[in-house]
Amino acid sequence: MITALITASGAVRDPEAVRAVIAKDLTAVRRSRAVLLPMLLVPTLLMVVLPALIGLAATRATTPDLSRFLDGLPGDLARPVLELPANEQMVVLVNGYLLAPLFLIVPLMVSSVLAADAFAGEKERRTLETLLHLPIADRDLFAAKLLGAFLPAVTVSWVGFLAFAVVSNTVAWPVLHRVFVPTRLWLVMILWVAPAVAALGLGVMVRVSARARTAQEANQLGGAVVLPLIFLAVGQSTGLLLVSLPVAVVIGGLIWAAALFLIVRGARRFTRDQLAATA
Amino acid sequence: MTAAIETVDLTRSFGATNALDGLTFEAGAGEVVALLGPNGAGKTTTVRLLNGILRPDRGTSRVVGLDPQTQGDDVRRVTGVLTEHAGLDDRLTARENLLATARIRGMAADHAAARVTAELARFGLAERADVPVAGASTGERKRIALARALLHDPEVLFLDEPTSGLDPEATRDVVELIGSLATEHGRTVVLCTHFLGEAGRLADRMAVLDRGHLRAFGRPADLAAELWPGLAAELDLGAEAAPEVVEALLRVPGVLSAAAVPSGAEVRVEHRDVLPVLVGVLVAREVPVYAAVPRPPTLEDVYFALREQA
Repeated sequence: MITALITASGAVRDPEAVRAVIAKDLTAVRRSRAVLLPMLLVPTLLMVVLPALIGLAATRATTPDLSRFLDGLPGDLARPVLELPANEQMVVLVNGYLLAPLFLIVPLMVSSVLAADAFAGEKERRTLETLLHLPIADRDLFAAKLLGAFLPAVTVSWVGFLAFAVVSNTVAWPVLHRVFVPTRLWLVMILWVAPAVAALGLGVMVRVSARARTAQEANQLGGAVVLPLIFLAVGQSTGLLLVSLPVAVVIGGLIWAAALFLIVRGARRFTRDQLAATA
Repeated sequence: MTAAIETVDLTRSFGATNALDGLTFEAGAGEVVALLGPNGAGKTTTVRLLNGILRPDRGTSRVVGLDPQTQGDDVRRVTGVLTEHAGLDDRLTARENLLATARIRGMAADHAAARVTAELARFGLAERADVPVAGASTGERKRIALARALLHDPEVLFLDEPTSGLDPEATRDVVELIGSLATEHGRTVVLCTHFLGEAGRLADRMAVLDRGHLRAFGRPADLAAELWPGLAAELDLGAEAAPEVVEALLRVPGVLSAAAVPSGAEVRVEHRDVLPVLVGVLVAREVPVYAAVPRPPTLEDVYFALREQA
């Protein structure tokens, strides 16, 4: 669908070639345990195992007094939680709000791993030059490499979130007897902020991969940049979920702007000449 | 002969290193040109410039009339490249590697599948077609990469070490294939190789590169004639020629040099017609002559002589 949109927008010259590169990269990723395992393992831990364990613990523990903790939160957030019965507060707070920031690690990590494989990995496998000798425009190749990382990152995030929602609602059902995930802020996170974060991971890795000779080196270099971003994301998105919906939208917009800035700069440097000179 | 490839003063440097400096040469349609030279001579840079993946600092080039700088994708549609490293994705099968290339080249799915199957069979890879490339031998990888380079029946082929890693039988098949592509199908082949014997068998002309400079370009025989006047020949006399026999040979008009060797004598004459005269002189002196064999210089002789000059 996205390739169709891109074709319609005229952003690429040869959509079939773009599709062929994406299909090749995705087939290769499916066969690579080193790439596939972290892509599946981390989201499973974050989006399934952790909410299940914490949710179960929260529903079975003796009802704690959260009033002091909630008093420290902004009124917009604290009020709906405080209005809940005491036995519901813990599970809603943990699975409905406090785990949410961790969700952003998924699109960031998946897009980073795939981008490192797509850009620096081609150099490492000595397959980059073969691609450069084919009749595909520089910008088409760049678009293919971006989409090949971006689409799976968003897909894994969305599927992961679906799993998270199912697990969270299931473990909380004995206490809540209703569906509480997703909230409206969760939806903004999923549909707006998560793709932005995936794009940001891509933008960083495109820059980093230009200097790295192997995917591992790119991941290490990227990690140095991405880790602070993760901490920032955790901190920010904790705040994000504590602030109003419009602010969340604005923060998502800022991440998109940063991501697009990095991607556009990366695209300008993504020329055959530069790539061949470093291949 | 129409020039399929032309370069004039093609120059490219990487930082302070001159990878290619003022390369001027041409290759006709259906011609095999060997680019010879040690590592770092500029062979790969030449191929990259001709296929439009590097931009020259100076100079121009044309490939089947197209400018690689401004018509890179058009050039790459009519060229096929075998890179020094096969450049295959180990995680994909041979068929998947080739299919991806075919689709990127714009072939329709059905046509691509048929071409891939045909090329894999041509290179004896039908049984390995659906196994990940990771387990393939060097020779198999080379054959897969060659099959990929030929998928779209290119007009111009750039082949970087096409037979390295192949066993003798596969080497013979590939050499014959390259020869037939040029002679029977009119394809132009630029062959980068360290195997001088292979280049000698295939190349119509050779370009000797050294640290980015073109040291010589032409037919091996013409280059040999520039290096060594006349024709070398070996006279098999059954034993080392005596000094007076060597002196007698040197007195024959048209003999440029003569020297004793364990089997007889080595001479250099202005023309092959001098050889029967030499045999007559020896017979008249009752020196037995078992053979008089012209020894034209091999491509290897020419190459190393040029390298020494450089």
